[in-house]
Amino acid sequence: MLDSIISTLTQGFIYALISFGVYITYSILDFPDLTTDGSFPLGAAVTAVLLTNGCNPYLTLLVAIAVGALAGLITGLIHVKLHVRDLLAGIITMTALFSINLQIGGSNLVVERATATIFNAEPIMTLFGGMSLLYRKLIVSFILIVVVKIILDLYFKTKSGLLLRAVGDNQTLVTALAKDKGNMKILGLVIANALVALAGCIVCHEQRSFSATMGTGQVVFGLATVIIGITLFRRMSFVKGTTAVVIGSILYKACITVALAAGLPANLLKLITALLFLLVLVLSGRKGEEIIHA
Amino acid sequence: MKKLLCIVLTLTLVLAFAACGAKSDEPYLIGISQYGEHPSLDNCREGFLQGLAEAGLVEGKDFTLDYQNAGFDDNIAIQIGQSFSAENVDLMCAIATPSATACYAAAEDKDIPVIFTAITDPVAAHLDSGNVTGTSDKLPVEAQLDLIRKLQPEAKTIGIVYTTSEPNSVSAIAEYEEKAGDYGFEIDAIGVTAQSEVTQAVDTLISHKVDCLSNLTDNNVVGTLAAVLEKTNEAGIPVYGSEVEQVKLGCVAAAGIDYIKLGRQTGVMAAKVLKGEVSCADLPFETISEYGVYVNSAACSELSITLPEEIVAVAIETAE
Repeated sequence: MLDSIISTLTQGFIYALISFGVYITYSILDFPDLTTDGSFPLGAAVTAVLLTNGCNPYLTLLVAIAVGALAGLITGLIHVKLHVRDLLAGIITMTALFSINLQIGGSNLVVERATATIFNAEPIMTLFGGMSLLYRKLIVSFILIVVVKIILDLYFKTKSGLLLRAVGDNQTLVTALAKDKGNMKILGLVIANALVALAGCIVCHEQRSFSATMGTGQVVFGLATVIIGITLFRRMSFVKGTTAVVIGSILYKACITVALAAGLPANLLKLITALLFLLVLVLSGRKGEEIIHA
Repeated sequence: MKKLLCIVLTLTLVLAFAACGAKSDEPYLIGISQYGEHPSLDNCREGFLQGLAEAGLVEGKDFTLDYQNAGFDDNIAIQIGQSFSAENVDLMCAIATPSATACYAAAEDKDIPVIFTAITDPVAAHLDSGNVTGTSDKLPVEAQLDLIRKLQPEAKTIGIVYTTSEPNSVSAIAEYEEKAGDYGFEIDAIGVTAQSEVTQAVDTLISHKVDCLSNLTDNNVVGTLAAVLEKTNEAGIPVYGSEVEQVKLGCVAAAGIDYIKLGRQTGVMAAKVLKGEVSCADLPFETISEYGVYVNSAACSELSITLPEEIVAVAIETAE
């Protein structure tokens, strides 16, 4: 049972990076960004290729962040400069990325077990080498998510961060402050997709594999976790949005673990996830008057 | 209401985790992780259980099963592997590549043996060393080319539709292209990215005037086979399958694998590992020792293909 909790938490932490990304686009910018389904495997593809070629595992994190940022930049430019609708801009980049990911990593790329990953490279082994891999994965992913969360929280307090939040809420204010709201949107997409690609990178480290189809459904996952997290903590203003979505991510992964453990027919997994999702929305939305906008 | 919700959620979690923590110690616990529901993969599982039975293991007495399928979702496959590891299963059986890599990653910590099946290229997937072994469903490409040559002596071009994101298909296409020349064929391969594009690709191949189509074990193509056959029958182009189920559906013939047999071979290997007779590391992965030739004489006569005597002698008839 303990093992089950640990691996679910680990998954929740790693995939929460996607939740952060979707939190920025969907919740803060009010931008339904489908790039996610492409930037997640993009991060993994690049990582798999780099690891296979003996690249330093920590360097892959930076490269994944960079390529993810580039993917976000492209969606942003398509939307802002070419005036393509938000949903379509994301779909275009996502579709293009499917081919690009195939070019980079092929349909499937497995990294050899002997390859060093962030879960077994120095200085992790010196610090936590005495622990089993299961615990090491938990600790590394926890540290990672806490660091990213703190950086994001700090960023949201800066001038740029405040402007970013204003773009989603009140675009006129941004224009009134003599700032270009288009550029702020692009910046938001860049940060969001950098985080999503980082998630893909960590999953690749953890699973030692990339598959071209691994991105399918990540937008839905991200949206679900953001909405679950934010809805649950809507009335607790001391809980930050970033914390809420991490909890949303853990709950989502826990739902699947529960469904698997309960021996539910596997083909019904998605239906059960959808029902749980609906349950959370309905139960916590009942007292509220407004439609949940997250 | 929110408190209630929190309580309900917490309780469900605790109960479920408790449920998966409980484990009896006597019979072996085998976790089967199947990538999705699909006739070939289902046959693998079916055969795997037969193989265990063949080796004298009785379900309920000697082993218990935890069967999960990921519904073709890689991320669910990851969680299935980890739940098996958390359950401390004695052996994981992984059907198809994504499930195998996920199980192998999850098993690393506890060194649980992983037995895979339905993987075309275990070497490329780095599943050829370590506490992992199994069976490969590599297609008998040369046998298929030979069969097509015997049934259609005049044919020049073979059309193939495949999914660019399926590792098994990509490696099979490479082999087709390499070997086709030896049998005097040219390959006209069209890659698709989704099931919805398959029939369009078939239309394109028909307009290219290919002499026949040959199928791989491609999930998207096999999944739309009925629609594909409708188009090819109208155009009078025969389709060759890659395993028995496709011939039953209306392909003219196939030199292919019997997934039940493949699964059985896998099950026998798993039994050896479970009983401690051999460790996965000392048991190299196996390819199927024999392939079958399957024909559907009804489909053949409709397309006025005459079956040569030598084929009739060895082939298994699948038409009812």
